[in-house]
Amino acid sequence: MPAAASQVILAVDDSASMRQMVRYTLEGAGYKVVQAADGVEALEFAKTSAADLVLTDVNMPRMDGLTLLRELRALNTYKFTPMLVLTTESGQDTKQRGKQAGATGWIVKPFNPDQLLATIAKVL
Amino acid sequence: MRTTSEFIPPSDDPTPEPAASDWTPERQIAHMLGLCEAQMESALAESDQAVDALIKAFTGLSETTRALKALGEDLPPELRDKLDGKLQQQVAAIHDQMASAVVAFQFYDKLTQRLGHVRYSLTSLAMFVCNRAQTTQRESWQRLFSTLQRLYRTEEEREIFQLMVQGATAEDARAQAERHDEARAANHAGEIELF
Repeated sequence: MPAAASQVILAVDDSASMRQMVRYTLEGAGYKVVQAADGVEALEFAKTSAADLVLTDVNMPRMDGLTLLRELRALNTYKFTPMLVLTTESGQDTKQRGKQAGATGWIVKPFNPDQLLATIAKVL
Repeated sequence: MRTTSEFIPPSDDPTPEPAASDWTPERQIAHMLGLCEAQMESALAESDQAVDALIKAFTGLSETTRALKALGEDLPPELRDKLDGKLQQQVAAIHDQMASAVVAFQFYDKLTQRLGHVRYSLTSLAMFVCNRAQTTQRESWQRLFSTLQRLYRTEEEREIFQLMVQGATAEDARAQAERHDEARAANHAGEIELF
């Protein structure tokens, strides 16, 4: 799937293996991937650098994904950035909280690489 | 030679006993729960190393596949015609297999997450049973159950918890959850919702 080489995706997950799978999928499609192991690390990056899309897990140490979304939405540079949640949680309540926190969409793990890329292309 | 799966009867060798003043049934239970946690932690650490090695191999394979694809694209047209698209077909087949591996790897992540919750449950229970007064109060058990319930993130975990709280045996709860797993996988895995 073609993607603009300059587009940066901030991928946030506390699991190293998940970050690797996301990176493999996105870099294979031509995106530049910046990885963060939790919300704190992601927010630190976001305060100084821009990303074209954020893909985040929910349950992480130090700062969870929904708090991260709220913090990012408070930054001028991330007000309109597409933000997708990638999580094992499929409950409607949590999805609703995600939507309120500023998520653009919700993807339940395990993700299918082609479907993930199609969704990213759609929201970018 | 004895295999690891063979039953080993209790040995006559004396194992160190705690001082008589420290010995209480509650402490023994807590200690046994700690043992379960330590065994699980050790097995997980070993698996993590194996999965790390597997992921490194996977990453290497993906880079090789990309290099092969690039080589195929750089071939002179006459050679490409001779191969009649077979190289592209092989690269596409590898790509599909690697996409399946990406999905399969994610189940290890889910397993680690669920075992983390089991570990937390064991620790909580070990602390709980050390307080004898607490264990005799029904409300304290309810509070413990509520704490554990809030841990669970996946539908599978929640279902097993609910069934067991309602009185099912561990075997029945697991069997019922397994029956629903297929439907769950079809309904939710890879589910995408745009807001």
